Amino acid sequence: MLLRPSHAYGRSALAVLAVVAALVWVLPSYYTGLLTQIGLYALVTIGLNLFMGYAGQVSLGQAAFFGIGAYTSAALAVKAHLTPWLGMIGGALLAALIAYALSFVALRLRENLLALATLALGIVINVVFNEWEFIGGSSGFKDIPGFAIGAFAFDQRAYAILAWSMLAIGIWFAGNLVRSSFGRSLVAISAGELGAEALGVDAERLKRQTFVLSAAYAGIAGAIYASQASYIDPSSFSFLLSVNFVLMSVIGGIRSLWGAVIGAALVVVLGQVLQTFVPIVLPNARGDFQSFFLGAILIAMLILLPRGIAGARGEAARA
Amino acid sequence: MTAQVWQYVLAGIEVGAIYALIAAGFVLIYQVTGLINFAQGEFAMIGAMTASSLATAGMPVFAATALAVAVAAAVGGICYLAAIRPARASTGVTLIFITLGLDVALRGLALFVWGTNPLSLTPFTGGTALTIFGGVLPPQASWVFGTDVVVFAALYVFFRRTYTGTAVRAAVANPPIASTFGIPLRTFALWSFVAAAAIGGLGGVVIAPITSATYDMGLTLGLAGFVAAVLGGLESLPGALVGGFVLGIVVKVAGGLLSTGWEEGVGFLILVLVLVVRPQGLLGRAVRRA
Repeated sequence: MLLRPSHAYGRSALAVLAVVAALVWVLPSYYTGLLTQIGLYALVTIGLNLFMGYAGQVSLGQAAFFGIGAYTSAALAVKAHLTPWLGMIGGALLAALIAYALSFVALRLRENLLALATLALGIVINVVFNEWEFIGGSSGFKDIPGFAIGAFAFDQRAYAILAWSMLAIGIWFAGNLVRSSFGRSLVAISAGELGAEALGVDAERLKRQTFVLSAAYAGIAGAIYASQASYIDPSSFSFLLSVNFVLMSVIGGIRSLWGAVIGAALVVVLGQVLQTFVPIVLPNARGDFQSFFLGAILIAMLILLPRGIAGARGEAARA
Repeated sequence: MTAQVWQYVLAGIEVGAIYALIAAGFVLIYQVTGLINFAQGEFAMIGAMTASSLATAGMPVFAATALAVAVAAAVGGICYLAAIRPARASTGVTLIFITLGLDVALRGLALFVWGTNPLSLTPFTGGTALTIFGGVLPPQASWVFGTDVVVFAALYVFFRRTYTGTAVRAAVANPPIASTFGIPLRTFALWSFVAAAAIGGLGGVVIAPITSATYDMGLTLGLAGFVAAVLGGLESLPGALVGGFVLGIVVKVAGGLLSTGWEEGVGFLILVLVLVVRPQGLLGRAVRRA
């Protein structure tokens, strides 16, 4: 049994999943859609937190792996008529494989330069989405088949439950990981790579494994997203989405698994709230103006609460 | 070289001149603070948008340019004071996130002020297009090249011929000792943001007549500026100049021969290659400071 809750992370993940499963029966479908979005973004952010928070690296290209998962699943479904369940596995595998190949290039760099390299790779991958006609080019894929179990075709409720189930598994797995010697080695790397190496940690290999894992998380989320949205095109996986993932990671708390969920929920909900209320206060505001607030919140968080919302408790305890 | 490819080269030189200005901003800030400012492209956007809307409102184009550069410089200073200085004790990764936040916030702010419609700016002067070996450059290109000459000459004179410039170079070479000698590092950091924003803003204004100005132009320009700066080695102003032109030409020729969609992709492939093969850049010294 895969989902045996062996510790607090597993138990609380199951509890949250139960709450979500109950919520989707009472909430209007609009909110169910938001729940799905939060679940999928949180899944990406958990992978990102492992890489950025625990291993102390930085990735500004995570949207590309989300996109690779979405495109792989969509291509397998549209071109090869395979079920999205296989598409999800294929998406995770291909995202992981590409991350593995890229890691030899990107992970030789640190901080500023690693940020630049991941940003660049994310944009190159987006250009490939745009220019490769086999996967739809700039017009993307439409009519992507949805998930189904037997005769039951997934509705919005089922997608929310699927997204949060994968999230629960993701939290359980990551929870095991960060408590293992692997997780402690990651923290050692983020504290100082040379020191970690001196203690016998193979920093290069661990960073690579974490990067690959973070890509697999994003790939699974992307594959579910493709079927749920039923339409994808390259603009859905731009640099700005990568920045949003970083935002979720930082706001929630970069070195916390539940922080990823809190961050994803806050960014999604805040986006909705701002879209509703800012025009009331400022009738002339147009377009995607809420990004101003998101950027400002990101800066304020980093200055005032650098460990994020989930990290705030520990900070208060130490103060 | 066919006429077509030559035309791509000329187009590359034209945009390369702008990339060089934005790259110069990166280099200024990186040298003084060790920070890669992900919001650099937005300064160009602010310059272009401000000048375009002022000129449309009837202000003479050179007055509008001066005011736009001043606005961009002020925004740069505010960014430093509001977001960078309060977080100066943070680690490198946190500072990267902060400049990303600045980028997002500035673009959102531009949406508030200007909306999504592109603004246009009439070329500074009329005149006929320049024809070089059969290739064509618009009259505005002369203004773009002129701006490069003036800005880079001014930076050269400042760093090599003035007392303050020498102090900045000393501070960059050895911050603790420079600090001991009373060189005000924090003030330099502030002015590096102001100067980088002013130069970026000026770049945005001079290119606005060619590309038109939109709230989201900063991302593309900023990213191109990065690549140019890294090509040049991140620490060298002549490198930024060379990097800008090399990138502009490569990108436009590759884009012309493949498809324009590949322009960005080629630029970033070059960035990745340079980062991996020669992180000190084309003109950088092999030995970096620790």
